[in-house]
Amino acid sequence: MNIATHLPSFILGIPLLFAFLTPIANKFSKEIRNAVFLTGLLLTGLFVGLMAYEVYTTGGWVYIFGAQDPVGELTTESLFRITFVADGFSTLATLTIIITAIGAAFYSLGYMKESPGMGKYYTLFLLTLAGVNGMVLTSDLFNLFVWFEVTSIASCALVAYHNERGKSVEAALKYMIISVVGGLLLLVSIGLFYGEYGVLNYALIGDSVHGSFIDLLAIGIIMVILAMKASSVPMHMWAPDAYAEAPEPITPFIAITSLGALFVLFRLIFFVFRGAVEPPALGTILIFLGVLSMFVGVSMALKQSDIKRLIAYLSVSQIGYMMMAVGVGFATLDTADYGSFGAMAIEGGFFHMINDGVYKALLFLSAAAVIYATKIRDLNKLGGLAHNMPYTTFFFIIGALSIAGIPPLSGFSSKLLIYESVYLYHPILAIIALVVSIITLALVAKVFFNAFLGPDQKMSKGEVPSSMLIAMGILTAVVILFSLFPHYVVSEIVVPAMESLGVGA
Amino acid sequence: MNLFLILPFFVVMVLVAMGLYVALFKKNLIKIIMGITLMQNGANLFLVSLAYREGYVAPIWTSAPATDMVLPTPHALTLTSIVIGVATTALMLSFVIMLKRHYGTIDSNEVRRCRE
Amino acid sequence: MIDIVLRDIWSPILFIIVGLLVTLIAYLFYKLGNSEYRKTRYKGDPFISGNRPPKDLQGIHVGGDNLYWGFTHALKKFFEPLVKGHTGIVNDYVYWFVVTLAVVLVYLYIAM
Repeated sequence: MNIATHLPSFILGIPLLFAFLTPIANKFSKEIRNAVFLTGLLLTGLFVGLMAYEVYTTGGWVYIFGAQDPVGELTTESLFRITFVADGFSTLATLTIIITAIGAAFYSLGYMKESPGMGKYYTLFLLTLAGVNGMVLTSDLFNLFVWFEVTSIASCALVAYHNERGKSVEAALKYMIISVVGGLLLLVSIGLFYGEYGVLNYALIGDSVHGSFIDLLAIGIIMVILAMKASSVPMHMWAPDAYAEAPEPITPFIAITSLGALFVLFRLIFFVFRGAVEPPALGTILIFLGVLSMFVGVSMALKQSDIKRLIAYLSVSQIGYMMMAVGVGFATLDTADYGSFGAMAIEGGFFHMINDGVYKALLFLSAAAVIYATKIRDLNKLGGLAHNMPYTTFFFIIGALSIAGIPPLSGFSSKLLIYESVYLYHPILAIIALVVSIITLALVAKVFFNAFLGPDQKMSKGEVPSSMLIAMGILTAVVILFSLFPHYVVSEIVVPAMESLGVGA
Repeated sequence: MNLFLILPFFVVMVLVAMGLYVALFKKNLIKIIMGITLMQNGANLFLVSLAYREGYVAPIWTSAPATDMVLPTPHALTLTSIVIGVATTALMLSFVIMLKRHYGTIDSNEVRRCRE
Repeated sequence: MIDIVLRDIWSPILFIIVGLLVTLIAYLFYKLGNSEYRKTRYKGDPFISGNRPPKDLQGIHVGGDNLYWGFTHALKKFFEPLVKGHTGIVNDYVYWFVVTLAVVLVYLYIAM
């Protein structure tokens, strides 16, 4: 039997195992703990890479936990086994997650060197990693609920890491309450599907959904919950709180949990809900939520003076681009428009997701470098950092130009695909997207001008430690790689992801 | 249709609606968490009621009568969700304890230093 | 030729090559210009409405909320309700969630 078929279980098992080895290693010394944590993370990265290689060479497979033949068909006695899918879409999602995780991990090593309780911090880090990976890999509705809750618990505890600050605990409690309410309604809608069809597997439910009253109820609830977790307006309010109050190095990883929920939402609408709904109706909901997210997110960012809160609102508005693009693609399914521009919209949306995960991490981490060097996060008080921190300034510029969609950076490639395609669906969508992009540029210019330009005010003693620079350097390298070769990313990563969802061009 | 087959679903609806009502309109954070616990119980009861089949026996092999057994999947789901529920409730309550120490209040109208 | 064009509309490598060419041409034009350099007293100093720059540079950096003050002030009617809507009360977070859920469900039933 081919050992490679077990890769999805390793991607979950390794972080779970090392999550609980880290506190034990912490009893011995800091160095051993860091080594154990990094081993766990890099091993997960290795397995994600191997799975990507296997998927791209042999095609995807469905992994059945505990079955005699883990890649066989679902038989009547294995109907309730947990299944994972390793296909192009899981690869796209896990790659996005692991790149951000590696950046955040190396950054944490430098940033949180002196902080107390780091054994637990790394445990929660790896648990969140396992949770998000589980969310995107699973193809079982109840299993989705379990990983959803694992992610919620671990990431909320991470947000409250600075529990000596009241605001952190407040943000964590709000995030927790909204995710638990969402999680419970998710359980109820899973119950609805189970009660109607007696199965929990995505593919089996997808075969039998037909748009009955109960189907629509469950579909609506699941969609709204995942949109909430993805911080779509008007359910975004937990996101700026949580992103702004989480420990600085972990913030991009908290943001990745939202992106993970979005990946799950897209998998579900293409895999499961497609048979039950009229594509234009469901697509319209996504477009509407997306446009609201883009516009409200960027408008609220204009009023912010806290550097991390501002980037948090920008990340809310970036989520809107993906929802709008995939909404347009879904709305045109099964029509002639799909070939002419719908496929391109989905392509742009998926490409934007992997881009967004990376450059948002870069932005959050360079903002964290500013906070590390100056201990100030108020843009009214910052200034003149470029004199002392040239590398951080460069990394921030790359991230900022990419999020604003300035050619030739990666954000532009994906946004161009989105503009070109949504314009053909409805011109107003492309106009809104362009306006939001311009305001985003104005906002990152504001942050850049406030924090880095101006006379040297002797705010920082110098550049941040090298491990943090390396972390930002890795992410910058990935952004530049995606910028220079967007056609390879699209043809090698994005198109297989679309084909695995059954919506190839 | 047997009324006793529908009754649990009414109870579920009442529990979830009560939980949502509490989370929406009660300002005491402990009460909000109590409301969420009500919703948890509603969701668990929903799963258990789905599993019930008239005339089937519980899926316990030891000296079971030779009739059909119910499928134990929903019970497994319920157990898992109870465990998760305990973890989330404990975490939320510990957050409230810390908030009380920092802010001196657990009124959600005053726990709003993160805003705008 | 290797495929370096994304969907027939965008190629960053060509963009960079063209950008470099344009820079080169611009540089050639620049070289054609007068290379004489006249040193004056204030050359290179920041221009602050004709005033001399102060010795102490503290506080001359316009930043923060002042930067787009005019824009947000002019659109006050749009921003005020938006900012007020973000109350930070946890009940409101749940409220928006339930409202969105209700709207989406009603829409789904009407549209199907």
